[in-house]
Formats: sequence, structure tokens, C-alpha cells
Amino acid sequence: MEETRIGVYVCWCGTNIAKMVDVEDVAREAGKLPNVAIAKDYKYMCSDPGQDLIIKDIKEHNLDRIVVSACSPRIHELTFRKALENAGLNPYMFEMANIREHDSWVHTDRAEATAKAKALISGAINRVKWHESLEKRSVDVHPATLIIGGGISGISAALEIADSGKKVFLIEKTDALGGTAAKLDLTFPYMYSAQQMIQPKIKKTNNHEHVEVLYNSELKDLSGYIGNFEAEVNQNGKEIKIEFGNIIVATGLKSFDPSVIDNYGYGKFSNVVTSLEFEEMLLSGNILTKEGREPEHIAIIHCVGSRNQDFHEYCSRNCCMTALKYSNQISSALPNSNIYQAYADMRAFGKGCEELYTKTSRKNVIFLMFDQKKGMPTIKKASLKDNFEMLIEMDEKLSGESVEVPADLVILMVGVEKQEKAKEIGQTVGISLCGNSFYIEKHPKLDPVATTTDGVYVVGSCQSPKDIPDSISQANAAAARILATINKGSVTVEVTTAEVNEDMCCGCQTCISVCPYTAISFDEEKKVSIVNEVLCKGCGTCGSACPTGAIKSKHFTDQQILSQIEGLMFKSFELQEV
Amino acid sequence: MSQRVNPYLKQDLLEFGVKDWNECFHCGNCTATCPLTEDGSLFPRKAIRQAQMGLKLSLEANVDPWLCYYCGDCSETCPRDANPGELMMSLRRYLTSVYDWTGLSKLFYTKKSWELIFIFIFGFAVILLFLLFPQHDTLVGLVNQQGGVKINTFAPIKIIEFGDWTMAAIVGGLLISNILRMWYKTILKPRVSVPFLMYFVTSWNLIFQFGTQAKFSKCDKKSRVYWLSHWLLMSGYVIMFAVVVVFLPQFQTEEIHEWYHWQRLLGYYATFGLLVGLTVMLVGRIKKSGMKFMFSHASDWLFIIMLLLTTITGILVHFFRIYGLVEATYYTYILHLAVLTPMIFVEVPFSKWSHLAYRPFAIYFDNLKKAAIAKQYKSKLATAA
Repeated sequence: MEETRIGVYVCWCGTNIAKMVDVEDVAREAGKLPNVAIAKDYKYMCSDPGQDLIIKDIKEHNLDRIVVSACSPRIHELTFRKALENAGLNPYMFEMANIREHDSWVHTDRAEATAKAKALISGAINRVKWHESLEKRSVDVHPATLIIGGGISGISAALEIADSGKKVFLIEKTDALGGTAAKLDLTFPYMYSAQQMIQPKIKKTNNHEHVEVLYNSELKDLSGYIGNFEAEVNQNGKEIKIEFGNIIVATGLKSFDPSVIDNYGYGKFSNVVTSLEFEEMLLSGNILTKEGREPEHIAIIHCVGSRNQDFHEYCSRNCCMTALKYSNQISSALPNSNIYQAYADMRAFGKGCEELYTKTSRKNVIFLMFDQKKGMPTIKKASLKDNFEMLIEMDEKLSGESVEVPADLVILMVGVEKQEKAKEIGQTVGISLCGNSFYIEKHPKLDPVATTTDGVYVVGSCQSPKDIPDSISQANAAAARILATINKGSVTVEVTTAEVNEDMCCGCQTCISVCPYTAISFDEEKKVSIVNEVLCKGCGTCGSACPTGAIKSKHFTDQQILSQIEGLMFKSFELQEV
Repeated sequence: MSQRVNPYLKQDLLEFGVKDWNECFHCGNCTATCPLTEDGSLFPRKAIRQAQMGLKLSLEANVDPWLCYYCGDCSETCPRDANPGELMMSLRRYLTSVYDWTGLSKLFYTKKSWELIFIFIFGFAVILLFLLFPQHDTLVGLVNQQGGVKINTFAPIKIIEFGDWTMAAIVGGLLISNILRMWYKTILKPRVSVPFLMYFVTSWNLIFQFGTQAKFSKCDKKSRVYWLSHWLLMSGYVIMFAVVVVFLPQFQTEEIHEWYHWQRLLGYYATFGLLVGLTVMLVGRIKKSGMKFMFSHASDWLFIIMLLLTTITGILVHFFRIYGLVEATYYTYILHLAVLTPMIFVEVPFSKWSHLAYRPFAIYFDNLKKAAIAKQYKSKLATAA
């Protein structure tokens, strides 16, 4: 191996690292290691002067590889790679040692933390020696977009993209747009009419010159990769082929079926209805029991199917506020009625929602709390001498009393679940479901719109239960992301991919069966596996599964990883006597 | 035992107070901030919950409202402005009407005009009695050798004493029967199994609390102004009551004693106590100083006005007598009784003054309940062991 010249930079991160790690000592010791041409410590490496220091040193000291030991590469790896590029080096000739999250933040002994920092840096130095130059690649982007699902999320994203003059294919499995939002009467917390909001949007979508709505359609098959997708759509038994560059999955939600909960007697009592059935009642303008009477006692039961180990553990997010909305609507329509809210916890986190709760508390509403773990309320038939139909028995948590609640009409606030075909659609477009059966986003905090498959975005309640503003925000965010890639015309794709050494490949196809991104195919002529570098994410699964060692994961070669481990164990950095 | 949620109870309760408490979402701030909260108790939140849910039986069995002396800290710091303090006040009125079997208490609390009508009827009856059965035809020569007005000639001690004892018997009888009903509602009906001996063991506390109002002093820790002024008023009132009922022959004498005589000193102390207490209450309610005096119910005003009138007419009788103003003494004496009699008849068994009995008895019943719980706990431990 030719003589390399490595520059090592140890960051203080203010006091974040320097407080627990003796950074000056670490830099001094690192400077003594083989191939290290220069080693420095600095207050903030990520700052402009910090980056300039690296660039200047590369030029002055003729460095060819750089190690920065600072925070997590998640935060600043790209920053420093850019700096290397600016200095004329290949950005992959860089390695980061995390001495903050992995060291200073999690240790309480300064001597031990300092020793650990030295070991981590030694590993990084050893690894960077074997780094190879990698070249960035890009692919062209087809300007059309496919949106699956014509609910409020799908419509919003479609209009956003189409308004900028780009083509949108909107596939909807039913014969009408609007989804769940179109079934609602008023919306919480400001009591706007859902119909007045959504109908103009539906009309606009249908008449838009750049939107092609495919009703009664389902996605059959999808192939290709970001920028160049191709799909087969089944419309009323007819096969349609379309091409596009990006996909938005907006398949929405299905409401929970309460008949599986015996306590609530849904299906048994005619006046136990779900929240969506009650919306229908509100839309029709009459709140009546099945017998056509005005109910005197109306009970609303929360968390039906939600936040319960037996059904769904998650919170469906919309039901609490919808229930409060019902209180307000009922007390306006039937001022003499008694309203009972049987809830497990009141969740009022959205804009204007806590205010709605306060406003509702001032009204004549009786709030009764139950503990899901200790048993849900039970609906029973009232005795003949009572002048109401049902009795709800429950253990009221805040008073500690067992109580009976009279009811003529019971509204079950049913939760949100995944669409029936969520799994199939996910498999077709290459995204997966998490434990709760909602689609997994790329990063729960930093990237809640994209997925691990480039060019596929998830919006609305198919990603997690959402209200209308949240769905629209996410839809518009996805639209903006897609428009950005269309506008750019091309996208850079991952370079740290897997590579097959065709001479060594035995054609066993183990790699094809383990690849989570369907990025590997088999060349029947050559009898070897081929990696589609656009689809490959460089996860390394194939590399470790390959029995002949024919697959190399770029930037994660065996040589690089073994050297790093060797560096970690390097003798001169043995732990001090502590 | 499961209780039915009663949405209509709220309307009943609202008639006894001015504030709604439905906004309470049970954060527990009131319990945390209350100086009277004891370990493990949900005071005053429990009563709020019972009121919100319309749990009539639990509410009737709850003596918590009587244990609150309304410092107002809970209402001041309540994040939802649910006014727990004022609810406790309203519940005291409600509970008074619950204990009262005649139904008059509810009538007086919820319909102001009825209380006034009763007071006027009683007042006129007293005046009428004096006019119909005059003990002396002329108002001349009724001055004794000291120059003071002879009071017994006009209002013979035997008649007044008879009236006093009759009044005490009626009012006492009503109050005792209501306390028995309180006992029934709080201990017997909810089947609290009180160890029999505890009735005697805890009874000393009843007398102690009545005499010292130690619980009130714990509530009013900051300045003790309210506790002290209330204690002065209470002691003044009790002394005055004892003096005019039990020791009337020693109090209403023809002879005017020296100012340092026990009879006059007791009278002066009682008057002083009443005036101090009344001034603090009156100024507080007019200025609305603090949560305690923020919301005044009609019965609060009536209580202060009646007691103030009684005190003032009493003072006037005293001075008119000393200075030998015969007519003034007699007319003021009639007026004094015309205010005092309806005040005692209306306020003591049916309205605000009933708290003189209910508060100490509430502490007594509360101690009994605690004893029952302790016994239950002990037997549970025993069976577990």
C-alpha cells in the first residue's frame, strides 16, 4: 500500500465533548500514529472556520484522507464530505469517529472516555486508509406522478403538482373522490363544513387539464425505479399502462369494526351506532333513534378499538375531538338532551383543540373516565320501568364509583385502521408496514414523508392516523419534494451500493432472495446475479449472505471493516490504568 | 353498589350557588394546594366529581364541604377557573337543605323572597305581641333611683325568659333532628361500619373543634385574621346566647351595675367580638377582597345585615337605658327582639347559621368514617396474614 497522508481533526463541540474527553491529549496521541500527517483539535469543526482549517491543511500538507472525530455522522458527515470536495479530494476519502453520542454524552469517567475516544479515532484512521474514490451518479426523472388514493390527501397532492403544469395520474378504487373526509358533516375544532371544503376540490381535480383521474382502478404491478416507474393499472378489468417518475401512496384508512367488542353490543342494539354512521345522521339533518324519537340521553364512548392491547395499541387521534364536536352539535340541535362522554383519556393536542375541550367543558356535558385496562363500559338493556332504552355500566375512574349511565343513543368513536389492501399495495410499490399496520416512513422525525424506496412517498392516514390539516400538510410536502426532483430533471442515486464480481459468482441466487429492495436480478445468459444500482440501498445484506464472497459492498468492504476493528484494538491506545 | 349518573342534579345544585364547576378536568391542583388536604384524601376534588356526575347519594354522604373554610387558594390557582372553593360553599348550602326535613331550608336558599317574607312575618309577630299585650299603660315614672330605665316593668323577665326557652327548644329541636338526619345520610345509609367505641373516643374532638376552630386556623395560616375575627364573633355570639337565654335573670336586671361588674364585662366582650367579626366580613364582602369574599349569595348578606341590626339595636338599648331615655329604650328593645327572633328562627336551623352545628359534627362524622376505614384496613391485613 502506497504511503498515505491522513489528517485527523478532533472537535471539542464547545464543552459537549471537551468536558468529558481530553481532546488535546487525544489529538496529540493521534498525531503519533502511522500515516497520520497532521492531527489538530478545534472548538467547532463543523463551523466555517473549522471546515476552512481542513481545506487549508489538505492543500498545504498535501493530505489525501481525512478523519474527523466529532458528533454522529448522521449530523455532519455530509458537511465534511462537501469540505473535502471543495478541497479537491474525493468526498469518500473521509471517515468520521463519533466521540460525542458514543462517548462524551454517555460516559461519566473522563479518563475512560478519553481512552475510548482514542480507540475510536484509531479505528477510523485504520479504516480511512482503505477508502476508495467513489463517483456520484444520477438518473433522469419522468415528469409525471402517480397518486394512489383519491381522498383529501391524494386530491391535495394532485392539485399541488398539477397546478405547476406537471401530469398526475390519480387512481381511485371507488367511483367517487373525497375518501373519508367526504363522509363528514362538520369538522373539529372550528366547525367548518367538510362538504364545503372538499366538494370544490373534487370538482377542480376532475376538471384539471393535468390530472387524469382513473376511477374504479387498482394498481396491479409496478416496475422501475425513481424517475422511471412503469405501472399496470386495472380499471374495471381493463389493463392500462402508465409511465411516471414518482409515486404518492395516499390509500387512507378504514374505520374499526366495533362488532368484535361484545361489551358494546354493536349490531345487537339498534341504537348503538358508529361515529361514521352518526356523521350520516348529522348530514341528513336529524338526530333520531331508530324508532324515530329524539334521544334524551346520548352517550359517546371513546377509544373503540384504539389504545387497547386487544385491538389496536395506537391512538387514532381524531376521535376525541370528533366526540367533542358531537357534543357541540348535539347540544345545538337538541338543547334539552343529556350528553355523556365516556373517555379513557382526553387528547386535545392540535391547534384550537384544547380550546374546543375547554369550550365543551363549559357546556352541559358529563365527562366520565374509564380505565381500558380494568375493563371497558358495558351496554345493557334498561329495565321496563326506565324511560330510556339502554344502561351503560362502567367503573368511573376519577370518582372510583361504579356507575350506570342512561342512554337512548350510543355513539361509538371507532378507531382508524389500515386499508384492507394496504399490505398488497405496499408490496407492489416496495414499501413496508410497521407493527401498527401503517406504512413506514423513511425517518419518523427527520423524513416523515418519503419512504425507504426512493421516489415513493406516503401521505395521509395510510402512514398514521391523521386529521385533515395534517393530511394536507403531508400531501403538500410530498408534492413539493416531487416537484423539486422533476424541476431538477435528474436525481443523484446512492453510490455505496453492492457490486457483483461476475468471475466469482456461482449463480446460487441467495442474494436475490435476501435483498429487501428487489434490486438484484439474475442474468440467465451469464448465470450471474446483477445489482440494479439505482434500486440498491447498500444495506449489505447480500454481501454478508453471499457464500463465495462475490458481492462487495462499496464503502463497506471486508478490508475496511476489519481494519477498523484492528484499529480499535491498536496496542499504543491500550486503555490506561483506570 | 352501582349508582346512576343523574344529569338533572346539576340544575338542583346550581340553584344553591352562582358558579358552574363543569370545567374541572381533575388535574388535582386544588387537592395539592389546599392546606387542609390530608394524606390519601381527594379533598376537595371528590365532591367536585360527585357534583359533575350527579351522584346524589355519594354527595349527600360526603361531609367534605363542611371541612372547607374557604381560603380560596384552590379557586385562585385553578387552571380551568372551575372555582372549587365556591362549589364547596354552594354544597354547604345544598347539604343544609338535604339535612333539613322541613324543606324550608331549600325554600330559603333557592327563593330569596321567601326568606325575607318569613323574617318580616316573625318580626311583625314580635311587635304585635308587644302591642297587643302591653305590660304598662304609661311610659312615665319608669326610671329607677340610679336614673336608668326600668326594663322589667316593660318586658317582665318571666315572659321574656319563657319566650327565650320556647325559642331555644324549637330551634334546638329542629337542629338536633337535622343533625340526626346528617348522621343517617353520612354514616348509616352508606353503611359505614363505625366501631361503637369510636363514638365516644372521638367526641372530645367535637367539643374541642367547636371551642377552638383549630381546623379553621390551619386553613387561615397566612394571617389568621379571618380565623381570629371569626373566633371572636363566634365566642361573642355564644356568650351572648348563653347570657340572654340561660342567665337572663342575672343579665336583664333592674339595677344598673358598675361597668366592671361581670354582667357588663361579658356583654361588652360579646359586643366587641360581634362587631370585629362583622366588620371584617362586611368590609371583605363589599371590597370583594380575595376569593373568599368574591361571590356573595343573598343568604350571606342577609346573615350579616340581621346580625348587625341585632348588635346595633342591642347597643342602643344599653345606652338609652343608662341615660334614662324611656321611650327610646322601649321601642329599641322591641326592635331588637323583632330582628333577633326571626334571625334565630330562620338562620339557625335552616340557613347560614346552621354551620355552627354542622361544621363540628362534620369533623366528628369524618373521624368516625376514618376510624371505620382504619378498622377495615386492619381486618384486611389480619386476613391477609
